[in-house]
Amino acid sequence: MNQELTKETVKKLMEIKGEVRGVVFKTDGEFIFKEKGKEGLKELEDELEKLGYPIKYKEIKTMAFYPVGLRALSLLAIKKIFNFNDEKIKEMGIFATKVSLIVKFFIKYVFSLKLAFNKQTSKLWRKHWTVGELVPVELNEEKKYAIIQLKNFNLHPVYCRYLEGYFPGPFQLMVKSPKITCQETKCFFRGDEYHEFLIKWK
Amino acid sequence: MEIKEKNKEENKISILLEDLASLESYASDLFSFLPLPVCLISSIGIILEANPALERISGYKIEEIIGKPVENLFIKEEIEILSKDTIEKGFVKGKEINIFTKEKRKVPVSASTVLRKSEEGEIIGYFIGFFDLIDIKKKEGELKNAQTALLNMLEDTEKERERVEEEKNKTLAIITNFADGLLVFDKENNLLLINPQAEDFFEIKAKKIVGKSISKIAKFSPFKSLINLFGEEIKKIFRKELSLGKNLVLEITTTPFIREKEKLGTLVILHDITREKLIERMKTEFVSLSAHQLRTPLSAIKWTLRMLLDGDLGEITKEQRDFLKKTYRSNERMINLINDLLNVARIEEGRYIYRPIFANIEEIVRSVINSFNEEIERKNIKFEFKKLEKKLPKILIDTEKMKVVIENLLDNAIRYTFPGGQVTVSLKYAKKEIEFSIEDTGVGIPEDQQERVFTKFFRAANVMRMETEGTGLGLFTTKNIIEAHGGKIWFESKENKGTTFYFTLPVKEKFKKFLEEL
Repeated sequence: MNQELTKETVKKLMEIKGEVRGVVFKTDGEFIFKEKGKEGLKELEDELEKLGYPIKYKEIKTMAFYPVGLRALSLLAIKKIFNFNDEKIKEMGIFATKVSLIVKFFIKYVFSLKLAFNKQTSKLWRKHWTVGELVPVELNEEKKYAIIQLKNFNLHPVYCRYLEGYFPGPFQLMVKSPKITCQETKCFFRGDEYHEFLIKWK
Repeated sequence: MEIKEKNKEENKISILLEDLASLESYASDLFSFLPLPVCLISSIGIILEANPALERISGYKIEEIIGKPVENLFIKEEIEILSKDTIEKGFVKGKEINIFTKEKRKVPVSASTVLRKSEEGEIIGYFIGFFDLIDIKKKEGELKNAQTALLNMLEDTEKERERVEEEKNKTLAIITNFADGLLVFDKENNLLLINPQAEDFFEIKAKKIVGKSISKIAKFSPFKSLINLFGEEIKKIFRKELSLGKNLVLEITTTPFIREKEKLGTLVILHDITREKLIERMKTEFVSLSAHQLRTPLSAIKWTLRMLLDGDLGEITKEQRDFLKKTYRSNERMINLINDLLNVARIEEGRYIYRPIFANIEEIVRSVINSFNEEIERKNIKFEFKKLEKKLPKILIDTEKMKVVIENLLDNAIRYTFPGGQVTVSLKYAKKEIEFSIEDTGVGIPEDQQERVFTKFFRAANVMRMETEGTGLGLFTTKNIIEAHGGKIWFESKENKGTTFYFTLPVKEKFKKFLEEL
């Protein structure tokens, strides 16, 4: 998919079926507010309005559902206006896990990595999205890695970068490690059937 | 029907979502605006949640705190104990620990914890709430500093007290062992201290009088005459004599002790001069006896010589007359010297009897001047007597003694003024006293000897060179006579320029009117 924010891209994105919880826009808005201030946030909202999909981040309801396409649109608009590279997009993903209300619901399972991985991975996804499926594939606590797959969810490559930042977040809450990394090992946009992420820690 | 049911469910979901949003907003507000820092720690020691107050106190941003091990934010040993206690007891209240800030500062906080468990009873972690102790610690620090400062001050004060005590002991030892008797009065004139010597003088024990006011002390008979001497206000006196009984004569000096212009009290020094007085009396008695013994034959010689000179014993040659005249003058000088010595002896023995009467001093002055006219003419001295046009009041004086005074002063002025010089006698009346002055253009008194002018046998070096006569007793006698009349005597002198002697005599007010009418 074209990574540029063209009208065609917007149209295609908005045609994707499914909904996402407002919390994802909330975390985007908070990140931009923190990094770029009130003016930055306004600039972003103006851009989205120009694209015909105005998002007022402060007015977004955390638990409400919004069109899936808006999720990618928010990230692409941010990328465009603030010239964010992949690392910065990843940073947004990390930030989201730390301030997301839905992630906070997850906190009560952090006492057991195994339990959380096996039972909560899919749930965590479903709490956010009405489409796609997050599958826990493998957890190796000894070798300190985990594999998860995201199936039936092909939003936009920018979101793959975002998830590379987002997925280590819950692990950070359960694993005491100075560094946790995540890499997308398989990607629909690179011709794979699904997305696969390898999370490693030291 | 199915559509209706579906709509109902959707409405319910919508209401639930709204409630959830409100709850989220409520929880978020509560968490964000909570002024106390709080955080949630996982069972393995990872910070799961933190509020903005913790951000503020630690200097870290939320995202820099969440997901980080507790050791990043707390001292490992402290948080381990806190965590262990929380897991064991389920909570901890008010445990003092430190938060490590981003700037690596330690912020003291009081931490309270509550254990958190899952529905299955698994320990999820625990909440910690903090109470910032910076201000309390600061105050505690200030208090500690103040306490330290106070302790230091106390220590200093104690040292100072010891020093003062030591000084006091030293002073007390000095006072106790001082050869003179000492009395120390405070500023209210209560007796603070009496040393053993003073106890002996007054034959009294310190405990009987120490702490008592001067008026109460005055009631003890030995002290009566002492306190009469300087009064209940303890006026300043210097070397005043006081006889206590037959065998004790003290010389009393009072001196106020002053610090920074404030009078703290008075020291009374009692110097025993009994022995000196005894020696002086013996000396005076000897002089008196000798003088009396000498005067009788000298008087006989005088009258014999007079008879020879008057030709009562037959004619004498001119040469014989000249020799006899010289012998007569020498004999006269001897008699004068003996008289002076006798006067001094009488003054010192307190036997110089005054017989005061109301008299006009001007008449005395004039009569004395007349007796010196021959000498004034002989020395070709310009003499002037300045007196007031107004009549002087009569004053209470011993005319004979006053005559001695004026004779002494006039004799000195003429004797030590070179021929052709000037002598001026003046009489003034002002401020309830009569002032006599005699100014000469004579040799003057050397400055370094002026202090001794009124002492016995004093003769200035310059006059001793020019004049062999003179006993050095005249001014001593003069001063005693003037002071016995309640007057004052002083002088101004410059060597080779001249001298002016002054004395004043008081005019008694109550007789003034009566005297003016006389």
